[in-house]
Amino acid sequence: MNMHPRFSRSLVLLGSFISLLARAQGPPQSGGDFSSNPHPSVLPSDVILVKGAWSSASDSVTPLPEGGRVANNAYSNPYFRLTYSLSPGWTEKYSGPPPSDSGYYVLAQIRSADRFKAASRGSILIAAQDLFFTLTPAGNALELVNYDKESLTADYKVEQPPTLVTMANHSFVRFDYSSPVAELHWHVLATQIRCHMVQFIFTSRDTNLVESLIQEMNKMTLPVEAGPISGRGGGEVPVCIKDYAREENVLERVDPVFAERRFNPVPVRVIIDKEGKVKHIHFLSAFPDQAKAVTDALFQWRFRPYLRDGKPVEVETGILFGRSPRRAISLASEAVNE
Amino acid sequence: MKTIRLTSVLTLALLFFGGIALAQTDPGVRSSTGVNAGQPFASVTASANDFDFFQTGLEQFNEHQTVTGENPGLGPRFNLDSCGACHSQPAPGGTSPASGIFPNIGPNPQSQVIGNGLVNGSTNTIPFFVQANGPVREARFPFFFNRFGNPNPNAPNGGVEDLFTVSGRADAGSCSLQQPAFNVAGATHNIIFRIPTPVFGVGLIENIDDSTLLANQAAQSVFNRIGISGTFNHNGNDGTISRFGWKAQNKSLLIFAGEAYNVEMGISNELFTQDRPLPGEDQLGSGLPANCLNLAGVGYPEDVTHSGGTSASTVTSDTALFSVFMHYLDQPTPSTTSPGGAASISRGRALFRTVGCAICHTPSLTTQPSKLTAGLGNATANLFSDIEIHHMGVGLADNVSQGGAGGDQFRTAPLWGLGQRIFFLHDGRTTDLLAAIEAHQSSGSEATVVEELFDLLSRSQQQDLLNFLRSL
Repeated sequence: MNMHPRFSRSLVLLGSFISLLARAQGPPQSGGDFSSNPHPSVLPSDVILVKGAWSSASDSVTPLPEGGRVANNAYSNPYFRLTYSLSPGWTEKYSGPPPSDSGYYVLAQIRSADRFKAASRGSILIAAQDLFFTLTPAGNALELVNYDKESLTADYKVEQPPTLVTMANHSFVRFDYSSPVAELHWHVLATQIRCHMVQFIFTSRDTNLVESLIQEMNKMTLPVEAGPISGRGGGEVPVCIKDYAREENVLERVDPVFAERRFNPVPVRVIIDKEGKVKHIHFLSAFPDQAKAVTDALFQWRFRPYLRDGKPVEVETGILFGRSPRRAISLASEAVNE
Repeated sequence: MKTIRLTSVLTLALLFFGGIALAQTDPGVRSSTGVNAGQPFASVTASANDFDFFQTGLEQFNEHQTVTGENPGLGPRFNLDSCGACHSQPAPGGTSPASGIFPNIGPNPQSQVIGNGLVNGSTNTIPFFVQANGPVREARFPFFFNRFGNPNPNAPNGGVEDLFTVSGRADAGSCSLQQPAFNVAGATHNIIFRIPTPVFGVGLIENIDDSTLLANQAAQSVFNRIGISGTFNHNGNDGTISRFGWKAQNKSLLIFAGEAYNVEMGISNELFTQDRPLPGEDQLGSGLPANCLNLAGVGYPEDVTHSGGTSASTVTSDTALFSVFMHYLDQPTPSTTSPGGAASISRGRALFRTVGCAICHTPSLTTQPSKLTAGLGNATANLFSDIEIHHMGVGLADNVSQGGAGGDQFRTAPLWGLGQRIFFLHDGRTTDLLAAIEAHQSSGSEATVVEELFDLLSRSQQQDLLNFLRSL
């Protein structure tokens, strides 16, 4: 490429200016007399500036599970393609933490307004669990909820064991339990979308309040695939397949090199295009240097294109780099079959 | 008309005071049961050698260090001159003391350093965040300043900025050091604080095998986690789970002791072998000036194993004795009846579990066999912690990264002994247990939903939970 001489001179000048600016910052200091600065810049409050392992993605356009928002009295999530209208007086006061390294997401934390009387208050937690990275030995949302039921301790009483119900014309598994000492009732409604369990957990002292909130769920919009077992992508979004990155499907592989030993799991969701190339990378939890190393490596991978009805389709799968977390032991469960 | 108005006023007053009576309140530091922490394990007391070791460790823990003389090595920068001065509530090994609160140990010792001659008042000032009735504090600047005095978010710091210098002391020679720019740091919001973590029962925490912690993590992940999902901090060298400090950044008590001796008192030792400059003086500066080095005149490290000793306790270095003292300290003894009575505490314990506090604050874990003393082995450690680090949201974030813990992640604080603590949270921002619980919710916190569930409890249930916590 030939560069115009004037343009290159400008670049050199700009470079010198930037390097001068950098030098003007001077060496970092802990102490000293800074009284000559009458208007010191103040760090913003309520901002996490120094992050540990965090979520990130290879582009800012592709929707992510954690990308949902509460706005205009509704929670909407482009990744899961769901919209849930909030009842009047219910709001999200605080957003949730980043995704965990075991694929757990707090999508929204909704609560009744403080003006409500104590008995009429409640909490709605919308959460998701990536089934590729769950520590629980469960392959679908139904099995996960059954596992929850089997794990219930003596502090709680089962009010309704996991049962299939229909909400907003889609199949959900519903599980109700309570705590006699706390006089609180939990109502869990879960389904599966894009190989994630998506669950709504309603908690209140008032079961009538919760029932009315659950009925409001019928106004929700969901993708066609949603169901306690059936939610495996497809259609407008990639199909999701657990462990698609196994040996026989990976034609070319370059392992990432981590410069620092950090001992954390690095769970990654990738979308593979119809030609077998990595199209999108979502780090559920990774340090920036780990994300860069994995990105550099994964974009060199080549997969066997996934065929459905003889035609190649996009695939979404999970790959775990770094250290494997310990998984929970299997419990004998009374499976409820769809 | 007058009668009606009087009746209305009386009714309002009744409602107001009735409301106050019904409101849940922190019962405060438990004083009715005596001091319930600070004792060695029974197995230590039963062994003459072990008890002698413990007693010597305790003496060293409480000993005041000087720049030169009998207990040399203090400085050139330091936060205080003894472990026991900061770790004193309600007994040696605890946390920040206070006057007027049981057992009335005294004012914040950092507020007294000029008055008692530890530092020279013409070369040092008491920083704005040190108050006589406030907590002992360690300060850190999350970011380095540039030369204009502005914090630079592209240059993370996070190291300890010692409060005081030896400058001006008769035994400090010509060493002249400035205190860090605390006022500028305060004005630019570039300062965070930490208070001492109590060390009762920490030998038990050290003796929990990684496999037990990992199994507990996996067990907590199966049931409705109501927003919670923690991870572990790891030791950078061997990759095992680290567990001490506010961010679980330290692997062992010996390292914890060695680092504290070096960072908090400025005493070099066999684990941290040089006098420590401030982060800005060291990492991109020139280190400590020559006339501030070897002030004790004994060479480095200032604290060593004594080859001329005649017994275990006289051979052992101060650092190792601190470690012995901490290892041999038993866990605090909770009360079954105070405050609020046995029934309230029992209900509070159940509520603590059912609303989800116990997901992170794991009530107990079992230790592995111990070669140190029988009390540490195969024991039930009622620590109320999973030793994991959790995202605690913007409300508690300090923007300091330590090991694998980011600026918003903290180790689940062990709650044993909480009944006799005065200051809460990593920076000691409150003495009100209810406020400490409420601080668990903010954007980005894993504990927001659990705090919401706490809010859903009736006031009497909340009081039961507070009574339970103050019984610990």
